[in-house]
Amino acid sequence: MRRVTGKAVSPGIVMGRALLHNITREVVLAEPIAEKGVEREIWRLDNAVKKSRAQLKKIHLGLQKIMGKDAAFIIEAQHMLLTDSQLLDEIKGTIAGKLVKAEWAIQAVEKKYLEIFRTIPDLSFKAKSNDISDALNRVLANLKKGPAGRLAPVAAAVPLEQFILIADDITPSEAATLMSSKRLLGLVLNKGGETSHTAILARTLGIPAILDTGNATELIASGDTVALDSVSGEVVISPTPEAAVEIGRKIEKFGLYREQLKALSRLPELTRDQHPFHLYANIELPFESEVVQSYGAKGIGLFRTEFLYLDSKMSISEEEQCLIYKKIAQNIYPHPLVIRTYDLGRDKSDPARPRREENPSLGLMAVRLFLKEREPFKIQIKAVMRANTSGNIRILFPMVTEIEEVRAIREIMAEAKRELQRAGTHPRKDVKVGIMLEIPAAVGLIRHLGDAVDFFSVGSNDLIQYLLAVDRNNADVAHLFSPFHPAFLHILREIRSEADRAGKEVTVCGEMAGQRLPALMLLGLGFAHFSMNALAIAEIKKMFTRIDYSRLRRIVAHLKHLGSRTEIEAYLRAELEKAYPGVLNSPNS
Amino acid sequence: MIEKKQQITNKLGLHARAAAKLSHLANMFSADIYLIYNDDKVNAKSLLGILTLAASVGNEITLQAAGSDEQEAIRAIGELFDRKFDEES
Repeated sequence: MRRVTGKAVSPGIVMGRALLHNITREVVLAEPIAEKGVEREIWRLDNAVKKSRAQLKKIHLGLQKIMGKDAAFIIEAQHMLLTDSQLLDEIKGTIAGKLVKAEWAIQAVEKKYLEIFRTIPDLSFKAKSNDISDALNRVLANLKKGPAGRLAPVAAAVPLEQFILIADDITPSEAATLMSSKRLLGLVLNKGGETSHTAILARTLGIPAILDTGNATELIASGDTVALDSVSGEVVISPTPEAAVEIGRKIEKFGLYREQLKALSRLPELTRDQHPFHLYANIELPFESEVVQSYGAKGIGLFRTEFLYLDSKMSISEEEQCLIYKKIAQNIYPHPLVIRTYDLGRDKSDPARPRREENPSLGLMAVRLFLKEREPFKIQIKAVMRANTSGNIRILFPMVTEIEEVRAIREIMAEAKRELQRAGTHPRKDVKVGIMLEIPAAVGLIRHLGDAVDFFSVGSNDLIQYLLAVDRNNADVAHLFSPFHPAFLHILREIRSEADRAGKEVTVCGEMAGQRLPALMLLGLGFAHFSMNALAIAEIKKMFTRIDYSRLRRIVAHLKHLGSRTEIEAYLRAELEKAYPGVLNSPNS
Repeated sequence: MIEKKQQITNKLGLHARAAAKLSHLANMFSADIYLIYNDDKVNAKSLLGILTLAASVGNEITLQAAGSDEQEAIRAIGELFDRKFDEES
């Protein structure tokens, strides 16, 4: 029995088999190429870069949902590097100027930048050089024929068993891929400091990790039993039976502590004066459905499906989709799963865009796009309907503005149902149908829709954007984007009263549902269903259970007398602070 | 072509995220935009270029733009600096 110590960055205690991850980088020789080969090398490079960007985009989308924008920036930065004209031009220039293969050119340019960054004392710049290496390594892997990425050997070496990874260091994107695979039990690295991306990832996903051990890879071999105590920062290698019992006891104790944290998620969803509310999670990747309940989600209020379409190069079959939806629905059963159909074509870089448009956000997007190109849309609808064997699936259509669209959707659904019934694959239960309220015009339809629609979902980000004519990603006007604008409050009240009158349920699934002050305002306006980033649920729940709905309602009722967003926000904040001191403070700040 | 001197006032300087915001903004303009610091001149549309400047708080850099929307570009980028890249509120 031996021990290694390091920095504990993500608390937890686990015991399992070690897997040594050896990364040896291939040495690329400067093979000369002929002048006429330059074009081919540049073509190879462009293709590999394109492929790498698509992979990073996918990882980024997944991370953003489980970890929030800040952490996902790690991957976004790499994506930006691979769109950076300076970097790419330099690599191409090296190919053409020195008549070398793309691989060699990449390494030459990488070396140059690593040298530049080495001379910069600031720590955040050092982290930057990791990103450059990581991004360029991905391109190198993609230059090779076939799917051989650097991670492939690890994935191949490990059967379906969980393992504790021992490595010198891993790159941010490797960490992201490994940690979302569910097979990673724990992580021990020679390198890596407190602020490294890997540490952030591990903490968020609850994977115990000990970094900065110095020589773990020299002391541990693949197959060794190791116990990882990342409360004390110790790795025990091949523990004696007595030590193993002791570790088992610790694991149990830590489990109890975790239970207490989870107790909050089991509290009933009631305000202090017993008014009910419901919290759901927004997800983007299927595996997230396995963890959201532990964060306190009572269902999935929004499953964004865009990645299925983009990832499969727009050719995912009904069968494949059906399996994915079914699995998620079973994971979350008996709670509901709301599947939103492809919300694509909304920005200029979107591969689903059929052609260039001056104003993509006012153009052929989402439901509009798919009412024109019906085939992929119908396949998705059929897959959703077919997957509903447990009866908890709902379907949600984005960007609807007129009743004709709802009728067209209903027609496609009826057609899909007939086809499924003919094939004998239509389950007994129909899926419930909802539309997004994210363009102000849709709010005016609520009373006319009758039973064509079963529920509504407010996409607050877009609704604010279209109502106030503000692109919140445009730095010049972003400050005008506010959930406290009196006109937005007005439209929220209208949604509330129209939906009540129609007897339909409304969920708010935009960013504001997971933000303290806006969420309280929504609750006070009478909204009871909220769908948000899973990590925000515990905090929102704690806050809601502390307040009295009747009192909140009175405070919010006063807002209609105020005519400015700053006054509304200030009044709300002051009144809530007075009534419930500290309720708006985040426990983390 | 126009130029403007600009003080870096955000605590972290031109670190990764600020550089990303800056290059993102610069890419919205058609003008050629450069940052000049010490003897280095880099393309403001390149994240990598900005990072290699390693400019930190208190440093003064020169913004340079040439093109049909050079005025707007300099103004918008200057404002981003003045707003401390929206990092400190």
